[in-house]
Amino acid sequence: MTSIGKASPLRWTYLIFVWATILFVLVPLATTIWVAFFSNKILSFPPEGYTGTWFVQAWSLEAFRSGFFLSFQVAICASVLALCLGVPAALAIGRYQFRGREFINTVLMSPLMIPAIVAGSAIYLFYIELQIWSDVQFASTVYGLTLAHALIAIPWVLRLLVASLAGLDPAIEEASLSLGATRLTTFFRITLPLIRPGITAGVLFGFIASFGDLEKSLLLVGPGRITLPIAMLNYLEYRTDPTIMAVATIQVLIIAIALIVSDRYVRLGRTF
Amino acid sequence: MTTLVVAPDTSGMRAVAKRGRWAAPYALSGPAFVFVSLLLMLPLLMMLRLSFYQYDAAQMYIQAFTLDNYVRFFKDEFYRQVLWTTLWVSAVTTLLCLIGGLAVAYFMARTTSAILKRYLIIAIVLPLFMGNVARTAGWIIILDNKGLLNFLLQQLDTGGETLQLLYTSGAVITGLTSVLLPFMIVTLNSVMHNIDVSLEEASLNLGASALTTFRRIVLPLLMPGIFAGCVLCFILSMNAYATPILIGGPKFYMMAPTIYKQISAAMNWPFASALAFMLISLTMVLTVVSAVMFNRTARIGAVR
Repeated sequence: MTSIGKASPLRWTYLIFVWATILFVLVPLATTIWVAFFSNKILSFPPEGYTGTWFVQAWSLEAFRSGFFLSFQVAICASVLALCLGVPAALAIGRYQFRGREFINTVLMSPLMIPAIVAGSAIYLFYIELQIWSDVQFASTVYGLTLAHALIAIPWVLRLLVASLAGLDPAIEEASLSLGATRLTTFFRITLPLIRPGITAGVLFGFIASFGDLEKSLLLVGPGRITLPIAMLNYLEYRTDPTIMAVATIQVLIIAIALIVSDRYVRLGRTF
Repeated sequence: MTTLVVAPDTSGMRAVAKRGRWAAPYALSGPAFVFVSLLLMLPLLMMLRLSFYQYDAAQMYIQAFTLDNYVRFFKDEFYRQVLWTTLWVSAVTTLLCLIGGLAVAYFMARTTSAILKRYLIIAIVLPLFMGNVARTAGWIIILDNKGLLNFLLQQLDTGGETLQLLYTSGAVITGLTSVLLPFMIVTLNSVMHNIDVSLEEASLNLGASALTTFRRIVLPLLMPGIFAGCVLCFILSMNAYATPILIGGPKFYMMAPTIYKQISAAMNWPFASALAFMLISLTMVLTVVSAVMFNRTARIGAVR
């Protein structure tokens, strides 16, 4: 605040614009949560009263309930799988200098860069080809969906782990090695405990990215087996009522909890 | 003294690496690399190949090498229009994100209150992960004919007719800007941190106005962040799916929903693949072109 001068019309315009922009980002979320408690049956203003029945109603709708469980299951399996693949990869990238390091890093981060709808379509067509060759069904199965979601989670695990390895003094590992511990012992007794916050955050971010994904999953889900964001999209295309806002509120709450928990392990302000 | 300068950071890394076999990093990163290559790179290559196949209603597609799918894209008025809409909506969205993002990121980096700083970052990062569907849902409530904005307008002036706000390109741009602003703010914020406040103070002390200081000192230093943020916002809005579908309505066409429709409804996979590669390569070309232009203007700016 030091740099733009004292109270002047220019400064006031600037401050108003800043807060208006912040509101512009936050107001839609706040409105969603507000409307979820309206007692109006259809969307209208002003509220006739407030009620919590839409949350019960949302839970009683099969599409949302099963969508929630599927999303949860897929997000957990995918982030665990991404962790198993991501921890060794992060060690290689964070601790070694080797030929092709940049290339491997770029490929592993590419799921973040390649447009989700294009990637989703490519994976879908690939699954179909695979099925024609091998007679094993991948498209519209939970396994196929989980594999694709692991792809979403890998860049997050990698990014947060490499960052946490960079903050770790290699001298500590060296000391362990020179005192006679094997590489494996050093990893499990020294490195792993020290990068645990990074691992926790990586899994949480992987979970969040997978749980909220829409575009990559669109083509990969099967009839009667859709994830929560897709169930929400399908519903919203035909009607807007407090029930769907209750569902959105629940999703927002789950992700907010996951983010606040991960904020304890890695300060969000420093990661971004 | 010289040894201190030569060795500092990588010494530890080299010592650790020396003990390992040369193959260790490859063995460690191998599984993840194979996984991503098989599940993303290979499918993309197969999709590229598919875009040169011939569509056939009975057999789905015939193996061939034809440019028909790409020719059809450029000949058909409808698809040209879709591409044009996608391009200009993305350009306007990116510009709006930049204007809003600059103000907020500058404010966030220069505020003296640590508490405000911490909670502002969380407030901006939270929506980043909320999923586009939940956030676009909020805009539906606001812009609907019976929505919040129309209600507030009617409160102000009684008897006014309801405004059709939903299903317009303005609504899509509003929704996209709101969804993508956090990406711009976060990108700019990370660069803002590295700009020394004393540079601005020096400029102000030497008599420049706040606006001049921002334009001549902050903005040039912020350029890499501005560039990265714009590219990110542009790519994300070129590929937006949920927002155009939900607040653009069924008659508003952008590229991503069109690709999805070609695969799932029209079942014309070769054409869908061609559309997907048009989208990817156009995004890439525009990124590269803007990178070149950015470097050039940066150089001219440095000379001046």
